[in-house]
Amino acid sequence: MSFLNYFLELENLKMKKSFHIIYFLLLISFTLFGQNESDSLSLKINTKWSGKNLNLNTTYISKQKDTLKITQFKFYISDFQITYDDNTILSDKKSHLIDFEKPNTTLFAITKNYKKKIKSINFSIGVDSLNSVSGALSGDLDPSNGMYWAWQSGYINMKIEGTSSSCKTRKNSFNFHVGGYLNPYYAMRKIEIPINKLQNQINLTLDLERFFSEINLKEMNSVMIPGNDAMALANLSSKMFYVE
Amino acid sequence: MKKIVLIVVFGFLIFGIVSFSKNHFTPIYIEIPNNWPKPVYDFKKNPLTEEGFQLGRQLFYDPILSKDNTISCASCHLQATGFTHVDHELSHGIEGKIGTRNSLTLQNLAWSKNFMWDGGVNHLDVQAITPITSEVEMNETLENVVNKLQKSEKYVDLFEKAFGTKKITGQLTLKAVSQFVVSLTTTNSKYDKVKRNEEEFTEMEQKGYALFQNHCTSCHKEPLLTNDAFKNNGLPIDVDLKDFGRMKITRNSRDSLLFKVPTLRNVQFTFPYMHDGRFKTLTEVVKHYNSLGSGKSLPKELAKPMNLSDNDRVDLVLFLKTLTDNEFLLDKRFSFPK
Repeated sequence: MSFLNYFLELENLKMKKSFHIIYFLLLISFTLFGQNESDSLSLKINTKWSGKNLNLNTTYISKQKDTLKITQFKFYISDFQITYDDNTILSDKKSHLIDFEKPNTTLFAITKNYKKKIKSINFSIGVDSLNSVSGALSGDLDPSNGMYWAWQSGYINMKIEGTSSSCKTRKNSFNFHVGGYLNPYYAMRKIEIPINKLQNQINLTLDLERFFSEINLKEMNSVMIPGNDAMALANLSSKMFYVE
Repeated sequence: MKKIVLIVVFGFLIFGIVSFSKNHFTPIYIEIPNNWPKPVYDFKKNPLTEEGFQLGRQLFYDPILSKDNTISCASCHLQATGFTHVDHELSHGIEGKIGTRNSLTLQNLAWSKNFMWDGGVNHLDVQAITPITSEVEMNETLENVVNKLQKSEKYVDLFEKAFGTKKITGQLTLKAVSQFVVSLTTTNSKYDKVKRNEEEFTEMEQKGYALFQNHCTSCHKEPLLTNDAFKNNGLPIDVDLKDFGRMKITRNSRDSLLFKVPTLRNVQFTFPYMHDGRFKTLTEVVKHYNSLGSGKSLPKELAKPMNLSDNDRVDLVLFLKTLTDNEFLLDKRFSFPK
């Protein structure tokens, strides 16, 4: 809109000075090329299994001795916050949908790079209750991203699907759709990780082996509604993050 | 000379940008009668326009929303019956599959805090996801609906007219559907006209109205004829359906057998009645409430026995028929788009 205003303003001035045109071209080029990769602090999300990069449809064995394959892994990161060493805080209020299968969702700029030592980061896994009651939202929160429940409104904070011979279910599948925004089943989890380093890219890593280390897939393989099971899975999910 | 050329080129550029960024939207407003409560729906977040309404209307009547292009919203929500599925106890969807509940009417939805018989949906804009994705209704995904719409020239054009963009999203699809269904306001029944001193009740309707106010308005609150709450209305559970209503959403045993109090507007045509459509006639409904006695599990609103005589029952049903709004049921703006 500010462009439009600028145009209209120019129109009013009848464009007496070609200076305006030069200024306009400068303005455009700043907007187009002003953002440079090295000027921003980016967040990279790495998904691992036992310290090695995770691959979909690859067989892994959990600490519970379940043989399993992951077929889908998506989750939301919201309210990302950086606390610098000088105690200034930078917040990104947005919700980002991280989809393991879409590399462009696992690396993105969060802020201008102030080149200051980062004391710690904190963020939430999931979507908060305000966004959960605000109707149809756009972008990463668009309900067509497959992360919105139907019969009971609300976002799926984290979706992990796969197969395991331990699951006596149709196609041996397990489905974990973790969510819930109403107490006592509020499934969003806040995570804080100390860093104490100067970084140009934050390498946030999550290890799914940690998540599955306490899940017995024979007993628990289908959680698709808010409730006690979803709360337990949400607690587990908050244990799998660290920064490299 | 150079300067003039530059000015002309620049002028074209401005014209281009202005005409692209300023689509011609025609704002529309729903009419809210005097003395009605303030709508719950936030129109500021989805301003109604004629273009948005017409897009929503197209979507509402288009089976493109279902997996095999057979079921539209209108399959279970017909205008002539207050936008509900007439004559079916339980509504049916794709491949003849049958759901577990009788579809609700779509009337005065701007005043509803939540949706569905169990209130599981917390906002009108996300309601349509439920029937679209239900395996027994449309069995489709919102993502695929968006893909299908994006491939349709007709819809790309309609979305551009309504929202100024050719990029169709789930959000815009849902907001368009909302623009149509939130416009389905019924405010011109005989009851409304009597309230506005434009018409008069007959003697029997007047008696029925007095009985209604005495026995029914604690839940079917005027002027919307619902208090938008969840109540146990004394119906024994259907042993096949095992539908515990609101408890499915809250997982709280206190909410067992609680269902949304539906509006009674156009109730003459919205049969069958109750969440599972177990009563075919209004007489059966009134008999049910009249036979409740004083059960322990009943809410306080039903604790006092009605003790209606046969004549009372007839009067009450006659009053209920004054809630029919023919202008609404026959309004061409709400009908299948030709």
